[in-house]
Amino acid sequence: MTVNVRGKVLPLLAASALALGVAACGGSDPDGNAGTSDLSGELTASGASFPDAYYQVAIEAYAEVAPEVVINYNATGSSTGKKEFGENLVDFAGTDSLVGEDDPLEPGSFYYIPTVAAPITISYNLPEAPDLQLGQEVVAQIFQGDITTWDDPAIAETNPDVELPATAITIAHRSDGSGTTSNFTTFLDEATESWNLGSGDVVEWPTGSQGAEKNTGVAQVIQQTEGAIGYVDLADAEGSGLVFAAVENLDGEFVLPTIAGTTAGLDGAEINEDLSYNPLNAAGAEAYPITAPTYLIVKASYDDPQVAELVKGFVTWLLTDGQDLAEAELFAPLPASLQEQALAQLDKIES
Amino acid sequence: MTATTSPPRRTRTGEPPDLSTQSLSLRRRLANRGMMLVITACIVLAVLPLGLVVFEVVSRGGGVMSWEFLTADIPRNYRRVGPGMGAAVVGTLVITGMAALLAIPLGVLGAIYLNEYGRTTTLARFIRTMADVMTGVPSIVMGLFIYVTWVLAIGEKNGFGGSLALACLMLPIVIRSSEEMLRLVPDELRQASAALGARKWRTIVTVVLPSAISGITSGSLLAIARAAGETAPIIVTVGIIFSANPDPFSGGNTTLAAQIYRNATLTFEGAQERAWGAALTLIAIVLLFTIVARFIAARFALKER
Repeated sequence: MTVNVRGKVLPLLAASALALGVAACGGSDPDGNAGTSDLSGELTASGASFPDAYYQVAIEAYAEVAPEVVINYNATGSSTGKKEFGENLVDFAGTDSLVGEDDPLEPGSFYYIPTVAAPITISYNLPEAPDLQLGQEVVAQIFQGDITTWDDPAIAETNPDVELPATAITIAHRSDGSGTTSNFTTFLDEATESWNLGSGDVVEWPTGSQGAEKNTGVAQVIQQTEGAIGYVDLADAEGSGLVFAAVENLDGEFVLPTIAGTTAGLDGAEINEDLSYNPLNAAGAEAYPITAPTYLIVKASYDDPQVAELVKGFVTWLLTDGQDLAEAELFAPLPASLQEQALAQLDKIES
Repeated sequence: MTATTSPPRRTRTGEPPDLSTQSLSLRRRLANRGMMLVITACIVLAVLPLGLVVFEVVSRGGGVMSWEFLTADIPRNYRRVGPGMGAAVVGTLVITGMAALLAIPLGVLGAIYLNEYGRTTTLARFIRTMADVMTGVPSIVMGLFIYVTWVLAIGEKNGFGGSLALACLMLPIVIRSSEEMLRLVPDELRQASAALGARKWRTIVTVVLPSAISGITSGSLLAIARAAGETAPIIVTVGIIFSANPDPFSGGNTTLAAQIYRNATLTFEGAQERAWGAALTLIAIVLLFTIVARFIAARFALKER
């Protein structure tokens, strides 16, 4: 715009806007063929803290593949992520729970892209009893406050060799809206008869329980409170040095949360059309019962074609090369079939 | 103290009366000594938390402090042990600086209006009351206010949103403290200036403001120090980044206070260390500001010329 065009500003503006638009469209086409490394720009995302450990490592690794792309993932909890996505504050969001009626999102305006899965551990702080085994009903009774001390006969029944102390049980739970809470309570709701607190991103916990923000916050409460029990993702539990219980699965076996147990759980899961799936309490002797899926939510159509390219580029990488990083961070990669479906879903994004 | 209280008279010879402690009765001397001890104990008690805080922060945060810690990127994987608060240092400086740039001129000009022009008019009294009310507004409320009116409107979390929230928090403090300082300037100075033929604006700029500048500076600094340590509005309005972003108008940002919160709530050793390091950095930055501003105020104060 170096030429002085006084009096002809409007048509010039219109023309330049058109030219810019054409240039942008023209620019995005060759990018798609040349691979992700040519992309440049910035993406903002927020949401689930459950897969945060994996996402951050993946984003760091992606920076080597596409050095010009800056991605900031803010682990705010699933509910906040969905809210900010609905408010157009972020380019994509992470969530462990599906979009509900309370979330400000139009059905059909977004796609779920499953990324990884991981077990939710039942972590506790009881130095006297490092290897507890907990039945599903017992877990439900503990978390709704029916069992209040560790030496309760119901806990002793599955742990005959352990001398249980009379320490009072402190329930540690998420205070923010959380997909981890959603998956954990959905498991208890579906699998057990005693559970009567319902399920969702937020549930009403018994009085006297301790709330904390994000998985790491719950881990901190457990670490600092003797007698505490809570639900934390495996990566944060391991990272915080927490002890976790072996939980009874559908086949009646007591299984420790491991990646192998999670993969076993994924194989038995039924996948819905929108690619949401429920791997909770899957059948199989090895399957860990509380296995949680986690998704990215992407827009069905982006206003800015450049953002669409960036999102596609990153998520495609995350679903292919990025999957190799998952196990080292204690997350289970997707089964091949689901991975293909996720990639196909990603292709539907319009710009 | 208009009426002179009668001093202890002993002699008629014009000899000055004995005012030393020895001349007092034992009861009064004991009471004097006793109260002295109590108030000394009080000041020690009041300084004790400050001393302990500084000791704790320096001893825990000193270990990780290095040039690299102040400049390197924040590790994305919070489980990693090692340095990096560069993004937060830059963010704190940019966001707090921008907030100061917004709030201090506005606040000082407002204070000049209140003290030099408005005085006791209804408008001035209304503004004073509102400023007092605003001082009491919790910072999270200010953060949510900016989130609704600014962040949602522009559709992006960026540093400027944080600056706006901090500026709203600083403004009432700056207004009220500056006004108090302007009130302390004796009216004789204004009258003398007027008698020399100076106009009102000239009086304000060359006489009133320089006399009060030292107090205004410390008031503004108090506001900056408070703003630099605010966490809640920053978390709500600014988002997060890991590499330094000196541009407050585009892209997310982060501050030391927000990073202290984020890292201190994590169980991992590396994160805990970074939280202590960030705390030490924040205290050092505020201290540095205070020293620099004191120095500037001393240079510009009227009496020094």
